[in-house]
Amino acid sequence: MSSRDVTAFRSEVRRWCAEHVPADWRVRQTRASDEAYVEFQRWWFQELRHAGYAVPHWPKAWGGGMSTAEQVALYQELAAHDAPRPTLAFVAVHHAAATLLEAGSEEQQLRHLPAILDGEIWAQGFSEPEAGSDLANLRTRAARHGDVYVVNGQKLWASGAQHADWCLLLARTDPDAPKRHGISYLLMDMRSPGIDVRPVRQATGESEFCEIFLEDVEIPVANRVGPEHEGWAVAQATLNAERGMTVLELAERLWQAGFRWLLELCSIPGPGGSRPIDDMVVVDHLARFESQLVALRAMCATTVQRHDEGRSGPADASVVKLFYSELLQRMTDFGAEIAGVAGHARTDKPRSSGWESGAWVLDFIGSWEWTIPGGTSEIQRTIIAERGLGLPREPARQDR
Amino acid sequence: MTGGLSEFHEELRAVARKIVGRPPSALGGLEPQILDWGALADAGLLGLEVPEGLGGAGATFAEVAVVLHELGRAPGVGPYLGSTVLATAALLLSDPGPARDELLAELAVGTKMATLVLDARTTRWDGPTFSVAPTANGATVAGRAEWVLDAAGADRLLCPAQGASGPVLVEVANTGDGLVVEDRPLADGTRRVGSVAAEGSPVLAGWPLPPGAVDDLVDLAATAVACDSLGLMEAMLEATVAFAKVRHQFGRPIGSFQAVQHACADMLVTVEVSRALVAQAVDAVASDTPAEERRASVSRAKSHVGAAAVEVCGKAVQLHGGIGYTWESGIHAYLKRATLNRALFGSPIEHRRRLVRALPGSPPC
Repeated sequence: MSSRDVTAFRSEVRRWCAEHVPADWRVRQTRASDEAYVEFQRWWFQELRHAGYAVPHWPKAWGGGMSTAEQVALYQELAAHDAPRPTLAFVAVHHAAATLLEAGSEEQQLRHLPAILDGEIWAQGFSEPEAGSDLANLRTRAARHGDVYVVNGQKLWASGAQHADWCLLLARTDPDAPKRHGISYLLMDMRSPGIDVRPVRQATGESEFCEIFLEDVEIPVANRVGPEHEGWAVAQATLNAERGMTVLELAERLWQAGFRWLLELCSIPGPGGSRPIDDMVVVDHLARFESQLVALRAMCATTVQRHDEGRSGPADASVVKLFYSELLQRMTDFGAEIAGVAGHARTDKPRSSGWESGAWVLDFIGSWEWTIPGGTSEIQRTIIAERGLGLPREPARQDR
Repeated sequence: MTGGLSEFHEELRAVARKIVGRPPSALGGLEPQILDWGALADAGLLGLEVPEGLGGAGATFAEVAVVLHELGRAPGVGPYLGSTVLATAALLLSDPGPARDELLAELAVGTKMATLVLDARTTRWDGPTFSVAPTANGATVAGRAEWVLDAAGADRLLCPAQGASGPVLVEVANTGDGLVVEDRPLADGTRRVGSVAAEGSPVLAGWPLPPGAVDDLVDLAATAVACDSLGLMEAMLEATVAFAKVRHQFGRPIGSFQAVQHACADMLVTVEVSRALVAQAVDAVASDTPAEERRASVSRAKSHVGAAAVEVCGKAVQLHGGIGYTWESGIHAYLKRATLNRALFGSPIEHRRRLVRALPGSPPC
């Protein structure tokens, strides 16, 4: 795609945003009930879908087909216009779709990809109480009885599971095989009998994550993705799907909204009448953040481009995830410090927003949602060291 | 970047690496090497920005940056920054003519060395510290400047000076005729700086200095130093990773300990962040980027990379353990050069202040 086409596309997205992003969505999504959040999310996803912006990264045949340059322009403009994020559809359009496209049968693709566009909500049932960073230690058991698996166990940190129609599930089908073998990848209908979903209240006070208790849940064998016992390899496709363009989008938001709000915050006179930005120490911090954001955006662009050209390094995704999440934490920490006591009275972070909302204390607390899930910062550093730099593995670790 | 240009840069990188050599490892040791000026000249690396008609390559600063990066990876003693980068750039900003063209041609083939007489503490130029006076036998120049890069070895000194009708750049021969150049030994053994004092030194040639030209040269110098720092940190990361793979303690390679792994991972992230900012600054300096935008790019790179290189080189000393603290390991040379680079042409604090000045709503300072 030529740069002229991208420029034209960018103008199109700008016009669309001006007409479709509701001016009052932050107000409406502040203290919104679960019902109001789900209803808003469903509506916004369909708005994006009708514009052709909901699944830009999918293949053209399934309703996507945007070039990388167009996707970058799309996410930049959505961020610049402070559009709501389609958070409820996140697992469906990224993890579920990546799994189905990579390893799903034609029947599974036909059944779910169009349904996702129509608003089918997905959750991810990977982690367990004893399987966090050490995911391969999972114990949920799927015993095969003819045409069905009978599943028993417990999943944790399933984001949005209370609203989900379907769940991506990793379960052990061969308990005697070594850790990474004997796991199968299943698609679980959340209406199946035996499923109990309990939201977990998080540090921010929200209840986005859920525990899922599974008792004799029957999943048809036809809902398995990939060969039996070889679900670990399928899961890699799912895990890899959450990087690259996602961090690029979040980097745009941190740059557009996050830094702008930080500057505005620093320009408000404090109790003594002087503005934080008149203080050279504050100026120094702002310049650091600004430079790091510029670098992050460039690194995301490079990562996406290299992925496009098939030249991805084994630790590219880890480098940007680690840097983004820790920068988010440093920036929101600084915002909380500048906002001071009054910042603690902002207890109304709007839903459907990005990881920065201007409610700096809650944004800061919420930043651990980026340094822990999706591979903690410590796991990312180990990946960078071992896969990126080729350092020797720790001998005591048994995870093969 | 287009495929052709990127390929050209790879070739250039290979040529430069062959000449400046490889970075040391704690296993091999290093004393600062003397740059092989003849080999650099033969390979055309001294005249990259000099027009083809004068024996150069007619390339841009983007190509010079590739060489600067390699010089950072394996620092040697030689006036590449003062002569090849700054003096050449100053001459290229001046009006063409026989005197200018002759000096450019000599710089390109390495038969003469020059430097720009500019205090390396400068982030914003306050005007000339030299002045030109007419005499019966032609013009002379008087004045003084401290902390001038590569002054002692230069055959020609290019001084920004106050002329009768505005700032000019004058060429002076470093032959002792009313001119005193004093070397100032530094903790870093790979760069040379000195003071330049002129008292009635004959002016060989002079050119009007366009408005803003010296500030442009300061930006260029800051970017060149940032390229060097990126090379330093990249080499130190590689040396540390190589060392951590072979150095055994407690019966296993130290690189298999998580504390060492995570320190190396942080070094890599720091290098990648720096690489992104240096690339933008080089692009801004090499192309026709509007001045405000260019200055912001330069300040981001110089402030971030200046500090980051010290951090990475310091970590390299730490992870090499006792051997890293020895003179023989050569690791200290990188830490010293990184620390000096951080101070040249604006500290991180100064560049961050300059950067915020360009942001909306920020105070004038």
